[in-house]
Amino acid sequence: MVELLFEDIFSLTRMDPDGKRFDKVSRIEAKSEQFEMYMQLDVNTEIYPLHVGDKFTMVLAPTLNLDGTPDTGYFTQGGRKTLADKFEYVMHGKLYKIAEESNTGLVEIYVSFGGLLMMLRGDPSNATNFELDQKLFLLMRKV
Amino acid sequence: MEFLDREGIKFSTFSGVEIQKSAEVQVYSQEFYDSSLKPKSGALLDSRMGPANKSGHCTTCHTGYEKCPGHFGYLKLILPVFNTGYFDAIINILKCICKSCARVLLPENERKELLRKMRHLSAADHKSQQWKKIRDKCNKISQCPRCGYINGTVKKDTKNFMTIIQDFSKSNTDKNVEECKSAISHMRDVKTPIRMFHGLNPVRVLELFKRMLDEDCEVLNLSDRPEKLIVTDIAVPPVVIRPSVITDFGAASNENDITARLRKIITANSLLRASLDESSSISKCMDIWSHLQVECALYINSDVRGLPIGASLAKKENGFVQRLNGKQGRFRCNLSGKRVEFTGRTVISPDPNLKITEVAIPILMARVLTYPERVSNHNIEKLRQCVRNGSYKYPGANFVIRPDGTKQNLKFGQRNNIANELRCDYIVERHLEDGDIVLFNRQPSLHRMSIMCHRARIMPWRTLRFNESVCNPYNADFDGDEMNLHVPQTEEARTEAIILMGVQNNLCTPKNGEILVASTQDFLTSSFLITRKDTFYDRSAFCLMCSFMGDGMDPIDLPTPALIKPMELWTGKQLFSVLLRPYAQMKVFVNLTLMEKSYDKRQGRETMCPNDAFVYFRNSDLLCGQLGKATLGNGNKDGLFSVLLRDYNSHAAASCMNRLAKLSARWIGNHGFSIGIDDVQPGHHLNLRKKETIEKSYEKCDNLICSFNKGELVLQPGCNAAQTLESQITGELNKIRQDTADVCMKELHWRNSPLIMSQCGSKGSPINISQMIACVGQQSVGGRRAPDGFIDRTLPHFPKSSKTPSVCFLDQEYDAKGFVANSFYTGLTATEFFFHTMAGREGLVDTAVKTAETGYMSRRLIKSLEDLSTYYDETVRNSSGGIVQLLYGDDGMDPAKMEANEGKPLNFSQLFLKVKATCPARRQDLLCSSEVIKISEDILTKHEDLISAQFKTDLLNFVSNQVTLLRKTRTLLELDENSIANEGSNILEKVAANISGISSKQLQVFLGTCLARYQSKRVEAGAAIGAIGAQSIGEPGTQMTLKTFHFAGVASMNITLGVPRIKEIINATKNISTPIITAILVCDNDVRSARIVKGHIEKTVLGQVAKSIKTILKPIQACVVIKLDLEQIKALHMGITVDSVRQSILSHPRIKLKDSHVLAICADKLRIFSPETDKKKLLFELHHLMTILPNVIVKGISTVERAVINKDKDKYSLLVEGTNLLAVMGTQGVKGCETKSNHIIEVWGTLGIEAARKSIIDEMQYTMKSHGMSIDIRHMNLLADVMTYKGEVLGITRFGLVKMKASVLMLASFEQTASHLFNASVNGRDDKIEGVSECIIMGIPMRLGTGILKVKQRYLLIVNYYLGTFMFLSSNLTSLET
Repeated sequence: MVELLFEDIFSLTRMDPDGKRFDKVSRIEAKSEQFEMYMQLDVNTEIYPLHVGDKFTMVLAPTLNLDGTPDTGYFTQGGRKTLADKFEYVMHGKLYKIAEESNTGLVEIYVSFGGLLMMLRGDPSNATNFELDQKLFLLMRKV
Repeated sequence: MEFLDREGIKFSTFSGVEIQKSAEVQVYSQEFYDSSLKPKSGALLDSRMGPANKSGHCTTCHTGYEKCPGHFGYLKLILPVFNTGYFDAIINILKCICKSCARVLLPENERKELLRKMRHLSAADHKSQQWKKIRDKCNKISQCPRCGYINGTVKKDTKNFMTIIQDFSKSNTDKNVEECKSAISHMRDVKTPIRMFHGLNPVRVLELFKRMLDEDCEVLNLSDRPEKLIVTDIAVPPVVIRPSVITDFGAASNENDITARLRKIITANSLLRASLDESSSISKCMDIWSHLQVECALYINSDVRGLPIGASLAKKENGFVQRLNGKQGRFRCNLSGKRVEFTGRTVISPDPNLKITEVAIPILMARVLTYPERVSNHNIEKLRQCVRNGSYKYPGANFVIRPDGTKQNLKFGQRNNIANELRCDYIVERHLEDGDIVLFNRQPSLHRMSIMCHRARIMPWRTLRFNESVCNPYNADFDGDEMNLHVPQTEEARTEAIILMGVQNNLCTPKNGEILVASTQDFLTSSFLITRKDTFYDRSAFCLMCSFMGDGMDPIDLPTPALIKPMELWTGKQLFSVLLRPYAQMKVFVNLTLMEKSYDKRQGRETMCPNDAFVYFRNSDLLCGQLGKATLGNGNKDGLFSVLLRDYNSHAAASCMNRLAKLSARWIGNHGFSIGIDDVQPGHHLNLRKKETIEKSYEKCDNLICSFNKGELVLQPGCNAAQTLESQITGELNKIRQDTADVCMKELHWRNSPLIMSQCGSKGSPINISQMIACVGQQSVGGRRAPDGFIDRTLPHFPKSSKTPSVCFLDQEYDAKGFVANSFYTGLTATEFFFHTMAGREGLVDTAVKTAETGYMSRRLIKSLEDLSTYYDETVRNSSGGIVQLLYGDDGMDPAKMEANEGKPLNFSQLFLKVKATCPARRQDLLCSSEVIKISEDILTKHEDLISAQFKTDLLNFVSNQVTLLRKTRTLLELDENSIANEGSNILEKVAANISGISSKQLQVFLGTCLARYQSKRVEAGAAIGAIGAQSIGEPGTQMTLKTFHFAGVASMNITLGVPRIKEIINATKNISTPIITAILVCDNDVRSARIVKGHIEKTVLGQVAKSIKTILKPIQACVVIKLDLEQIKALHMGITVDSVRQSILSHPRIKLKDSHVLAICADKLRIFSPETDKKKLLFELHHLMTILPNVIVKGISTVERAVINKDKDKYSLLVEGTNLLAVMGTQGVKGCETKSNHIIEVWGTLGIEAARKSIIDEMQYTMKSHGMSIDIRHMNLLADVMTYKGEVLGITRFGLVKMKASVLMLASFEQTASHLFNASVNGRDDKIEGVSECIIMGIPMRLGTGILKVKQRYLLIVNYYLGTFMFLSSNLTSLET
């Protein structure tokens, strides 16, 4: 079984906090319900439109294989069943930075999905599963 | 290659006898040819002096034109004449000897002492100084201490050409003068003063010189007999150096200038002989003699000064001096610069498909440029084919050289036979082929990267092509530039060229270590567009682009797509990751963070920057950031290619550039990138904003003018009202352009081409965009607004003395002072256009002047620094082994290899980032903060002898900074600061380790890399760092705008900058245009105390502090009464009292009063009497006093123009305009130890040579910095050391250079060629041929760089290898046995 690194339901609070800069990509701000995490995420809104008030489940997983075997990094042909089947929007990226917020004691986790960035801020206890240079899959599904 | 070992060149003079002995023939006849048109015997073209043309035959050595070296003849003069070159030397000698007994005019004991001293000195420079002293000493003595003869002063006769006279008019002891005077005084109509002089004609001088003792000659620094300085015989040079040109099929001939001159000398000589034989009148003989003198002088130097009127009008024929002198002269044109074969030149064009190390050579050119390849078993078939192809078919060959040395031209003969004849040890001059090594060069060659070594690629068509990334070092563009190509002809030359000059090995400039070969223009644009956040590619597009970059030669591992669902999409950033590391086996892991131009530092959001301008590469993955010039471009030290070059090698950087060039050229070809009219059309909103900005600024300007007219303007420090107004208006108007530019950048659509180009840094700036779209802006001429060309106005279209930018005329606003409110798109009005041309012309003139000026500066710098190089003991020495620096740049580091800014060897933070990324901690052996510091200190102390102290402290500082970060994380997460809990025990512990943990492995790797890399950055022995330094200073000079002024903190206080300032510094100018002393105050936080000090420094005249200065005329006495304004004095803390005023009046140079004449009556009154007793004159005297007195300086330093208080971060200091550093330092309230001056000569005089050295370095650095140029401090150090190492500040000018350099040839090849050569031969100078210039002139390798070593090798011991079954084992040592 896949060991998920993080799973929560977010609600979208704001689109493009610094103004719309790119045609196809928007930066969304979202708050999670369970862990009270704050998230900024670049999403390709051209193929996966989102709006303020949308609620979605977001999952971070180290692999898409349902049996939990680590991701090889190579393309596997054939329509095998994967974790992605249950989700609408899947990205693959790399965790590049874990930092502490300067005064609140919260921890920030930064992931880059080929240039589309994610910043996840929350309690340090949620950050234990993460490691630097980890390859991650981000899976999203509207609820 | 064999070179003759020369000890050196000794300069000396020839006597007449020596000339005769070395000559083959006496020349006496005026005609050139006899009746049968053969060179006449005894004439100037006598065949005994060598053949005159190819068909001729030498009758001395009986060889032809090619072989005969030429032979001298001689020409006997009837009467001796002076040699123009030695004329000054002759006069100087005559000044020192008695004109009766020919001994030195010094008393015996003094003479012996000076002789001893002269023998003791060895340096030619010191000898000539000593000789000057002796000359001055002798000049004062008129009576000979030996024979008692009274000598007159020896001088040039100004009226006659080249005659020396002995003037007795001042030596009163001569009775003859008195007698003569008394005799003449009885004559009528004689009013001219009597001149008593004897002529010293060449015959007399020769006779005197012959009688001189050898010892005396030595005292006078003569190496040889002085009579040799006088011409008795002329050496007639061989015919080959003065060839005659036959015209009209041998009917007439044009003779060389030298021949023509010699003929005139022969004519004059025979005339003189005839007149002497005929015993003509003395005056006639003298006339002819002086004519002979003129002809002989012109023969040597046709530009000789003081020619008689008739002679100077004649047609100018070149003398010997003209042959040597100047840029086209022998020294600079033929000896220092030599012509070479195997070169080509043609137009250049770009080709991104070539590697950066390649150059495409047209087949046409490759057929002419050949390389002599030695035939061996490995290449014999290839070369046979080349020979068969011949010289017209590529790839062919032009010549075959057989082992016996015969050369076979392949244009003729049976090529097939020759090809079959080919054996080992034949040499084939084959056409250039792919991979051959060539040198590529573009003029002006300002630095060493202007000539680099490429590998040839033979291509069709007619241009030389290369990758655009290499444009920068050559400063080339493709608007019709031409470049040169050279083909080295030996294997040694090729190896040296590719290793030392190869493009790959010259990616960085030694100026400051910045990368020079990097992506430009289109490459930047396409990278910028590819890495945009919203570029997505599907599988086919992404794969296509991956195959763009490698020509399908490299394997490529496709990364996992960034978007997997709803569809597979890759981002542009992933493409870049592929470009950096195409396949997994490639061990290139780039780690860097960078801020691009548009990064907003105030927000400080790093990777989350909304503009996506924070670039982060982690293990060769581009995580974020849109790439632009800062990452990919040239001129930075922390860009992608620099990091590749430093962390990996030049090959990694070069191949990455190749891939990028191919990718972007092909990508942009598909994508398309162009500019059109709609790109420069302003939108409605933009127009509104522009109008708003301009109107607001106009209003502000009007308000300023208004308040100026009312006199309410708040003055800027050190400015009057008009200046303040001008500077404020200028500031306001300049702001408009900047503001509109900002608006443009914000308002334009992101697809706007100019906007893209300016954002990524490929071309253009926001200001350029704003000029096209919104507003051209203020036009400035000479740093200010357009000047008044008419009375009180710029153009007659405006009302007089209007300063405002908004003059209304026919409902339109025009600016009277050159503000252009229109854009290039809307078009300029007539007056605006005119102002624009004014500014434009200034720019053109500026560049024209600048090139000449900086070129000369570079030449001087090179000449003075060319022979400095590092040695194996790490010292910097000149060619004669004199030490200039004990350790190059104080740390022995190579500026080209410096990684961090300001010449620091390593960029620790980047390296640390890399270590942390490539060597993950994995939560083992994490260190706590105290351990980190301890380990690093231990390691560094262990290797202390390998690193400099500065480096050690820098590194430790960096480590401790990291430790504070570590501590901070731990406190925030509420963990123990100083110890680490056992692994896995704590969740937070794990998080903290991820955030900023340092493992012991990481620390060791980091410190180890630092130490190892530091070692590899040492400068190599033999490096010609002198020349590099000179280029590094000279080359940026060409980029500086010529006339720039800059405000030193305060407006109104201009200091010279740019090329003029650099010139001042390196010339060591005595009077610089803006001397400024920066005085640091003891009490620097109080304006009042600053004002007091200012009052003490600035000069105050009596008129300023006096209430009144009146003349009082009373019956008893008349005097001037001065009343001081004590209140004002006190208010300003001037410290002026009646007594001090009295002293200043008394010490004033123009007031000649005695103590008793100036009386202090009470605390504020002075009474001044005039010493004049004559009452008629008294009034005038008093009036005279009245005019002088108000200008008497009562306080302050007279040389100071003014002082301005400068406020810098709540600290006050004084900027003093003027000189006299000593007085300023001595002023109360000034911190003398920290006070600086920008006047180098004055610093030298006041504080000594070391201070002068420091101030040269500081001033150079400051000037360069203020033009935005960073130059490694080591170059400045070297320059400053060269300027000061003789113990005095020597300018890099012809005067300073003479004192720095010993070599005659070097000086002769610099400036004043002839006079250096003449002096050298008079003083018998010796040139050891050590320096660079001398070696080039003599054609021997210089002892610099690879020439620093000579290889001692016994030829016979070389092992012969045979190609056989066991190629290397079967080497036999036959030669050893023999």
